[in-house]
Amino acid sequence: MGFAMNMKDNLARLQDFYLLSLKAPLGLFRRPFYGREIVEQMDYMGPGSLFIVLLVSLFIGMALSLQISAELAAMGLKMYTGKIVGMAIVREIGPVSVALVFAGRAGSGMASELGSMVLGHQVDILRVHGVNPVKKLVTPRVTAAVLMLPVLTVIGDGVSLLGGYYISVFASHQSGPFYWSQIRDVMSFKNLFSGLSKPFIFGYIIACVSCYTGLSARGGARGLRRSTTTAVVVSMILVIITDFLLTRVLMYVLGMRI
Amino acid sequence: MIEFRNVSLAYNSKAVLDNVSFSARFYERVAVLGGSGQGKTTILRLMLGLARPDSGSIIIDGQDITELEESQLRESRMKFSIVFQEGALFDSMSVRENVAFSLREYSRLTEKEIESKVRELLRRLGIEEAIDLMPEELSGGMQRRVAIARSLAGCSPRMVLYDEATTGLDPLTAESICRLIRELSEGEPPDRTGLIIVTHKVSDAAKVAERFIYLRRGAIAFDGDMQHLMRAEDRELRIFTEELHRME
Repeated sequence: MGFAMNMKDNLARLQDFYLLSLKAPLGLFRRPFYGREIVEQMDYMGPGSLFIVLLVSLFIGMALSLQISAELAAMGLKMYTGKIVGMAIVREIGPVSVALVFAGRAGSGMASELGSMVLGHQVDILRVHGVNPVKKLVTPRVTAAVLMLPVLTVIGDGVSLLGGYYISVFASHQSGPFYWSQIRDVMSFKNLFSGLSKPFIFGYIIACVSCYTGLSARGGARGLRRSTTTAVVVSMILVIITDFLLTRVLMYVLGMRI
Repeated sequence: MIEFRNVSLAYNSKAVLDNVSFSARFYERVAVLGGSGQGKTTILRLMLGLARPDSGSIIIDGQDITELEESQLRESRMKFSIVFQEGALFDSMSVRENVAFSLREYSRLTEKEIESKVRELLRRLGIEEAIDLMPEELSGGMQRRVAIARSLAGCSPRMVLYDEATTGLDPLTAESICRLIRELSEGEPPDRTGLIIVTHKVSDAAKVAERFIYLRRGAIAFDGDMQHLMRAEDRELRIFTEELHRME
């Protein structure tokens, strides 16, 4: 009986999540429009997350370059460090690492903000005044996340490549111009499309999960803590699983073979 | 007319309201009393369609709102306004923006007209000087006043619902909030704006209400006026009204 009830509750929650994920983007096409809220959220998610993205991306680029040049040096191939670092960052590590940082920073922020609005009855006030909370609160956050995560990813990729350059030139003693020429070779349409299409989807997933868990918060401070943790953990897991699935699909679509 | 007919609601298998039935006219001044977790706030949420009962019906002006979709509830909600515990002000907005919120959402007033209406409301409630402050800069009493101003800004409610409006306030501030609540419900029935105040402070309830409903374990254990309340024999209710007896 308890198992059946749990199963029913979980299915109901999943249905609510899908409905929210569908209604959020549709809110962009129906009046009233909340342009100011979108800009505010873009400011919070973009410039607000920039410092941590720069920091993480720089060190990921440097660590990757260290590891790869050490391995390649053993085979006498360390001049290809730029190519491998560039491909790994642009296609895979850049989008995923920035999305994980984004889930931790902006995702937790969205969940805790909406959760405290639910617990403080502010969402009830919106409903009493006839304002649709999904349109007013979720649509701007989803829109901002979908727009800002790709921008952060491009910046993060650039900083990671700079970190890789620093290690290649000053620690691994390779030629700087050759490193950049290898990077230029990597910047093909396929690689760029593969790397830059993912952040749009990751942004959508992170925002929908975080908003849903925030709006589902119940039970005071403990409930708020639970919803914030759930938002970050579920977003991160979904980003990693979706990354694999998207990579598989993109490889097929772009004609890349294993 | 507001009617609850055999309304029951449970959260996580725990009964919050158990077969509750009562009715109230829009001009009445009602206090819903009871300890924490007895279903007092749930009654207000059900009345506004913010929660749905597991069984029973809630009739507002002849219409069963339990059967309505969220988008169809607007007309029924327009008859009420609500002041939640601790105000529920939007903390990213200033006092001006909080009070102007529903005017901006739905009225076609110009910014100048909105500003003038906001100032007029804040002046009426004695907090005009707080217009540029943020909610975190306000005292508890001022937060409640701003919440009351916001509840009155958008529409002319037939009944104002107060959820623990004086909880957490010092006695002087609580007294001034009670006076304000009473002033907003001045006039003769049936033209006056009614109120339902949910509270566990019976002394505050006595200052604003004429009818008292006492909830125990989600069921109505008492429903009557002040005279009957003071004469009630129920042991738990006597503990609640002890303060009033002492004052007498």
